[in-house]
Amino acid sequence: MEPHRRITIDEALPGGQGFTGSAARNVNPLNGHKTVPLEAPAFRAASERILSAINTVIDGKAEAAKLALTVLLAQGHLLLEDVPGVGKTLLAKTLARTIDCSVSRIQFTPDLLPSDVTGVSIYNQSSRQFEFRPGAVFANIVIGDEINRASAKTQSALLECMEEHQVTVDGHSYKLGEPFMVVATQNPIEMEGTYPLPEAQRDRFMARISMGYPDKDSEIEMLETHQATSPLARIKAVVTAADVAAMIATVQQVFVSEAVKEYTVAVGRATRDSAMLRLGASPRSLLQLLRAAKATAALDGRDFVLPDDVVAVAEAVLAHRIILDRKAASTGETPQGVIRSVLARIPVSQEMTDTANAGRTSPELRHTH
Amino acid sequence: MTLTSQRQPGADAQPQPAPASPGSGRFGAGAFPWVMSGAVALSVCGASLSLNGVLRGWAWFLPVLTTVVVVSLAMALLRTFRAAPVLVAAGGLVSLAFILTFTFFRRDSFAGFLPSQATLDALGRHLRRASETVLAESSPVAPNAGIVLVTCAALGLVVILVDALALPLGMPATSGLGLLAVLVVPAMIKPQSVGWLGFVVTAAGYLVILACSQWFAPDARTEADTARNPGQIRRAALTGAVTLVVTLLLQLVVPGFDQGTFPQGSRLNPWGTATGLNPMISLGNSLRTPTGEGRITYATNATTPLYLRSVTVDRFDGESWSPDDRNASRRAGTGRMDAGHEILAPEQTRQVTVVNTGDFTSPYLPVPYAPESVNGLTGRWSWDPATLSIKGTDTNSRDQQYLVQSSVPKLTTELLDASSAPVQGVPEEFIRPPSNVPDIVRTTAESVAANSRTAYAKAMAIQRFLRGPDFTYSLESPVQGGYDGNGLSVLADFLTQKSGYCIHFASAMAVMARLEGIPSRIAVGYAPGRQTGATVSVAGQGALPEFEVDARDAHAWPELYFQGLGWVPFEPTPSRGVVPPYAQDSSTSGGASTNDQNNDGLVPSNGATAPSSTAPAPLPLPGGGTADAGNQLAPALYTAAGVLLLVLLAASPRLVRGGIRARRLRGTGTGRNRLAEPPLVWSELQDLATDYGVRPEPSETPRTFSARLRGSPAMRLRAESTPAGPDSANPPDTAIGPDTGSGHRPDAETDRAVTVLTDAYERHQYGRPAAQDGTRRGLPEETAVEHIGQVRRALRRNAGIIGRLRADWLPRSVLVRWGSVAGWPFRVLRRAALGTGHGASVLWRRTRSGLRRLREG
Repeated sequence: MEPHRRITIDEALPGGQGFTGSAARNVNPLNGHKTVPLEAPAFRAASERILSAINTVIDGKAEAAKLALTVLLAQGHLLLEDVPGVGKTLLAKTLARTIDCSVSRIQFTPDLLPSDVTGVSIYNQSSRQFEFRPGAVFANIVIGDEINRASAKTQSALLECMEEHQVTVDGHSYKLGEPFMVVATQNPIEMEGTYPLPEAQRDRFMARISMGYPDKDSEIEMLETHQATSPLARIKAVVTAADVAAMIATVQQVFVSEAVKEYTVAVGRATRDSAMLRLGASPRSLLQLLRAAKATAALDGRDFVLPDDVVAVAEAVLAHRIILDRKAASTGETPQGVIRSVLARIPVSQEMTDTANAGRTSPELRHTH
Repeated sequence: MTLTSQRQPGADAQPQPAPASPGSGRFGAGAFPWVMSGAVALSVCGASLSLNGVLRGWAWFLPVLTTVVVVSLAMALLRTFRAAPVLVAAGGLVSLAFILTFTFFRRDSFAGFLPSQATLDALGRHLRRASETVLAESSPVAPNAGIVLVTCAALGLVVILVDALALPLGMPATSGLGLLAVLVVPAMIKPQSVGWLGFVVTAAGYLVILACSQWFAPDARTEADTARNPGQIRRAALTGAVTLVVTLLLQLVVPGFDQGTFPQGSRLNPWGTATGLNPMISLGNSLRTPTGEGRITYATNATTPLYLRSVTVDRFDGESWSPDDRNASRRAGTGRMDAGHEILAPEQTRQVTVVNTGDFTSPYLPVPYAPESVNGLTGRWSWDPATLSIKGTDTNSRDQQYLVQSSVPKLTTELLDASSAPVQGVPEEFIRPPSNVPDIVRTTAESVAANSRTAYAKAMAIQRFLRGPDFTYSLESPVQGGYDGNGLSVLADFLTQKSGYCIHFASAMAVMARLEGIPSRIAVGYAPGRQTGATVSVAGQGALPEFEVDARDAHAWPELYFQGLGWVPFEPTPSRGVVPPYAQDSSTSGGASTNDQNNDGLVPSNGATAPSSTAPAPLPLPGGGTADAGNQLAPALYTAAGVLLLVLLAASPRLVRGGIRARRLRGTGTGRNRLAEPPLVWSELQDLATDYGVRPEPSETPRTFSARLRGSPAMRLRAESTPAGPDSANPPDTAIGPDTGSGHRPDAETDRAVTVLTDAYERHQYGRPAAQDGTRRGLPEETAVEHIGQVRRALRRNAGIIGRLRADWLPRSVLVRWGSVAGWPFRVLRRAALGTGHGASVLWRRTRSGLRRLREG
């Protein structure tokens, strides 16, 4: 088992290519070749390998694992929020381990400095030049443990990296590797001495997952299997980073119809109009919602998005971005509940199904389609 | 190119898959609309051919042809441009308005075809003319502009109707109804019915419509894809043969095909109830009506029974007789009228009569002969000096109350016998014997009047002959004998059969009198009526007894001219009317008593017994039994029609539902490649579920709905342990989850059907559009039909009897749709009210805050 350094810089980044910033989006940072999207069977095989690998480690959390993979494939970042000891970090690490790519882990503490995250330029005496020492963020998967323990300054250092997939130090921009994903965990219970993530930063996470307690059987099984060795030891990488890049390219090609776009926008507008919310879903959140929906569709083996995909990820994507009205919060309403009620209210594009009612094209003219 | 162009005549006859052709452009509808419109035009024109005989000659056919063709072309053109079906129908209507304006009101319109106010005025005139023609004339009517306009408009509407039934509604077989509506008119009016030419062309057009529908948009339910399939042809031939045999047998078995409600020779009156006294033909119908319509009441101071006379018929040439309007010689105003010839009778009786016409509608006014003045009329009226018939120029007799002063010479047998002077001052048309008189009429007249010297004696001889024992009064035998109507040939038949009713007797006497040199004409009106028991007080006369007559008293009688005495009415019809004293035979004293008896017979006609059966009772006929049957058949027929209508109404949601289903599942394309539209199939699935209680929610995604449907007990197999029976314990719409209803387990086949339909719909709705994908979107028609059928079977299996009946006869999907249509105005109102309320509250808030700011600042 690889020891987790407090700040790990993975050596898997070859030739500093990750830093150059020259790599185009669909160029595999690992070998410089153009990324070819996977065919449907290969995609399904790869995704199944990843999910089953995760499920051998984490019992009874298939949903969370799938959502984590969804976020990875949708090029988003994941916020794991739950009480300590339910396997947040384990999920993040397992996901990272199943992929043969660079992983780094940052344990956030109040004294962590921004430069620890991003990297720092150091004067090299021998070459008489400033050299850039990459920070912890230079990895394909960055695990940020207890992110709310870090100072606001450090937290915001992560912002640029997450949004832009690049680091700017001393006026230089350094491109981060692809795929790039930040999996941050957060503890909602022990809030003393923490800096809760501000709205802006929360908005940068594509999804937030609460792990929840496992059910009885899973818990028993967990007690049995995890006694002797760390479960992580058993995991071997099942896909390469290039595979993941290809999967991401596949997801990007998933078709989104007008109807689904309209539905997504309708969801967003409904949250903004909701009387129970002080802050509704931002346009960026809708973009992320749709990207997550695309990944869901791809994981479901489809090359087009259904409203169901939007519904499936809506709670995870939107709940942590919206802010409840004070009145609603005092009545015990939760953001998840509001999202659910909004989804139950919005009609799924009905105008096409009602064509028999409205004037449809007469049968004799349809034969020229 | 498109499928249509491959299907041009002469092209390869094998069905070929239709390649997707996004580049075929928006005008790619092909020849189909044109062929279809041509077929519709052909069939409607064919149906209109049969109107020859209802309308005289062929002059009316050209306007009809242009109207039909223009409307069809307009609709075909719109369809080529792929207009919405509603737009096509609207375009048809607009083009109909244009072509009618162009044909009939070119001078009263903008640019020759745009209707204007003047057009509407002219339209009113034409319609009035048409209604007058229908009221006054018998078929065949002269094709005047009014009648032709109405015909053209009706046929244009039929074109639109047939087209709508055949294309957008997708019920080509039903389009025959529109054609039938045209054919019904001649079938009911013309004695020779539709005629083979009209029928053949109509049938040909109808077949072309069916063929086109089958060719371009085949029905999903027939297995064979085209009519060329031999199995299809065999089935069609068999069906046709059975129908033919049944039709032939049926008419032999069912009595009343030549009598009853619509006997041959009747006619249809589109202008409300035909209470008007239509000369000749409808006289028979009026007499046959079991209910007395067109009731007229009158009060008179006349001491003798009073005949009300409305019009005369004097031309006996031609195929059918009709009153001559004599519009040229008519004079306006009814204040003072004069017959124009001298009356030399020593004594004249002046009579005052007050008439209330009620709902009797006719252009002619019923008045006692000979009117000198009529007062109290509304509207403009004119009178004819020759016949003293009074006709409305811009009105009719409905709801008129007027006072007639009339005078009759006090005639005696001696006076009449003495009138031997040659006739003078009578227009030629009353004297001239008709040409082409049938031999039997001529010989009968000669033999009857052979021994008589004077005109009076001849007249009496003819009347005696007709009232003699050889002749019987019968309303039915002319119908059975096929001579119900008028004309010289009818007269010949009447003299052979010696049975008929007033018009036959009257015309026989009139024609024979003319042959014997006595000027004659037929008066049409009412025989003397019954006393109502009430009295009417008339100024200067005191209280006069009131009488009433109705359609059953309609009558015709001959008027003969005697020099110096004027026109003298006779009564040749046995058992009707009252023989005037001067015309009574001194030898046969029984005449008056017979008539009294008959009047007595008429009195209880207000009672429960059918009057028509009592009227001919004194003279029993061989065919009397059948006549009764025919009369009793009429109410039965009406009842049957009513029941049928109710059944149709009750079935209409079912019919609508079935129509919608067939239309949705009908695929496009050819042969095995016929593809149904997934959204339509999906709608069908949703409606099917709705019908059986699983209603889709608007916020449900297709997948969610599909899962809910599959999980609902309405779809799942019953476990063997649960006894079969109405599942009142599991209302279908409450149970949703797959695990509800422990007695149910999933039904793999149905689940698969629902899944396939859902996938097809999702792919169509949310997948890549066809152009990018390269494959044709759609669900093979067979698959769609089969899967929907599977789902339906599963739903039916689980529904109780009530649920099944309800889904069949009152499908919720249709009711919901109708409800939403019916509720539309209320929704709009509600939205408007809410909007207004919101606006008002916003305004009030703004004003308030503005005021506050003002106060603070």
